[in-house]
Amino acid sequence: MSVSIRSERKYLEILRILKESHEPMGAKRLSGLMAERGFILSDRAVQYYLRYLDELGFTVKVGNRGRILTELGIAESERALVDERIGFIISKLERLAFLSSFDPETCTGSIAYNLSIVREEDLEGVASAFDEVIGAECGFFNTYRIVDADSRVPAGHAGIITACSVTLDGVLQKVGIPARLEYAGRIAFSESGPPEFVDLIGYRGTTVDPLQLFISAGLTSINRLVATGCGIALANVREVPVAARSQVEETIELMKGCGFVFPAGIGVGGFNLVERPYRLPVVAFTGMNLVGNSIERGFAIRTEIGAGSIPFSKIADST
Amino acid sequence: MNDPLKFTNHRIEEYALQVTYDPEEDTGTVIYNLSLIRNEDLEPALSIMKETHSTGLSVSNRVRITDAGERICSYTVPQGCSAIWTVCSITLDALLLRRGVPLNPIGGGVVEIDHRTPRRFTSMLLYRATTLDPLEVLVSQETTSILDVIHHGSGSILANMRECHMEAEALVGMVLDELTASGFSGILDFGIPNVPLLGVPVSPQYMGVAMVGGTNAMAAIKEAGYWVVTRALGGLIDIGELGYLEDY
Repeated sequence: MSVSIRSERKYLEILRILKESHEPMGAKRLSGLMAERGFILSDRAVQYYLRYLDELGFTVKVGNRGRILTELGIAESERALVDERIGFIISKLERLAFLSSFDPETCTGSIAYNLSIVREEDLEGVASAFDEVIGAECGFFNTYRIVDADSRVPAGHAGIITACSVTLDGVLQKVGIPARLEYAGRIAFSESGPPEFVDLIGYRGTTVDPLQLFISAGLTSINRLVATGCGIALANVREVPVAARSQVEETIELMKGCGFVFPAGIGVGGFNLVERPYRLPVVAFTGMNLVGNSIERGFAIRTEIGAGSIPFSKIADST
Repeated sequence: MNDPLKFTNHRIEEYALQVTYDPEEDTGTVIYNLSLIRNEDLEPALSIMKETHSTGLSVSNRVRITDAGERICSYTVPQGCSAIWTVCSITLDALLLRRGVPLNPIGGGVVEIDHRTPRRFTSMLLYRATTLDPLEVLVSQETTSILDVIHHGSGSILANMRECHMEAEALVGMVLDELTASGFSGILDFGIPNVPLLGVPVSPQYMGVAMVGGTNAMAAIKEAGYWVVTRALGGLIDIGELGYLEDY
């Protein structure tokens, strides 16, 4: 690549903004959004970058409405600047946690969600796989929502919105508890003892989403877990100050009342996690267990983790 | 309470304490990767392994294939399967650590190859952040295109990276020369001090060394449509137990 790292950082940010936008975008609007992210560029400079991105085949002009990303551009946004992308997975989730305004006392506000795309003919089967996980209390929330009128859902497909467990981090932060999402892990349930983690991947050390990695590597046995009570599911681990224990427990109780799932054995403290002084791990199942179960049952399903935030009522009233 | 989980950087250091391989004598133990394939796929798998090796995408030409029911290193090969034992690229880190090189294993990921030249890492899992071997799980991500690299010179392969203190440059060079002489291959790129290597930054006064992953051949076999499971960082095996790829 002939461009220097400094400009590569800028063009990656342009690619990201275009990727998040669902319609063509012009230089003026892009320059405003770039400035919000700390990259001060004149409209003319953005024009220059866009022409360069056109030349590389990453963007394409749509009449006079602006530019969109090409397939190559989407791929590039997922390949460029590996070091910078190690921090991107977590910052995307932190943003969603911050944006979730859910208030567990009133069960109102918005929560973070994951969006899964399935073929229409698979919808029934996938829904039954989701229901199994919810029935066994191995998900993060007790329902999901099926959407079809969404620009992100291609023809012949259906979208399923599930609650994303970073909602918990957002709720904790809103009541003033500093929560730091640390790991995604595989947690094993057996007859012989308390659940224990078998693998962990730190959110601050990967460019690939750890939950997706566990699922696609075939390292879950959620199907067995929901059928027999023994198996391996996925959970997220965040850390809070030990002094926040009682506040965290109260918050979790309130969230349970709204339909969030914290089964016995899951929650605050314990487990075979490395003990760190003054830090308390808080463990919750991820909504991705629903997706994992469907994939184990052989369905093709594509999921964007942390796809956005949605009013709580829209997902809670969907059944 | 069960033992806390062990992260990969610590596992690598523990292995380093046990590796005894001496490249000049060609004796001692190395770290192996263990892969299972179906018996009927053995012929095509071997030819892909040979292609991978001749393209320079494998760690070593040492390999052993065991049949179902055979037992080695307290592992019994399941029915219907053949087991392929190959040298794990982490053996390099172990050898450097044993020779006293100040070294930090950084991580494993996917490297983009453009006209036979490594260009940049496009995915990376840091060893200190994972209890799984990165290359073992990345095999399943369908992000590699090793067959394209073999046939056309461009694509994506598995690779890993460590950093060594710049003071040890001469010693590192010497160990690499010894290894090359004894049939090890697969050094992908060698950085200069204080400069990121293939897009991955290094600590002050350190230089990066990137190496092809030991599981590339298995990922290529998988790309070709065959069933394969791989366990990287499997354990230790005496080099004498491994034969030569050319003999299979």
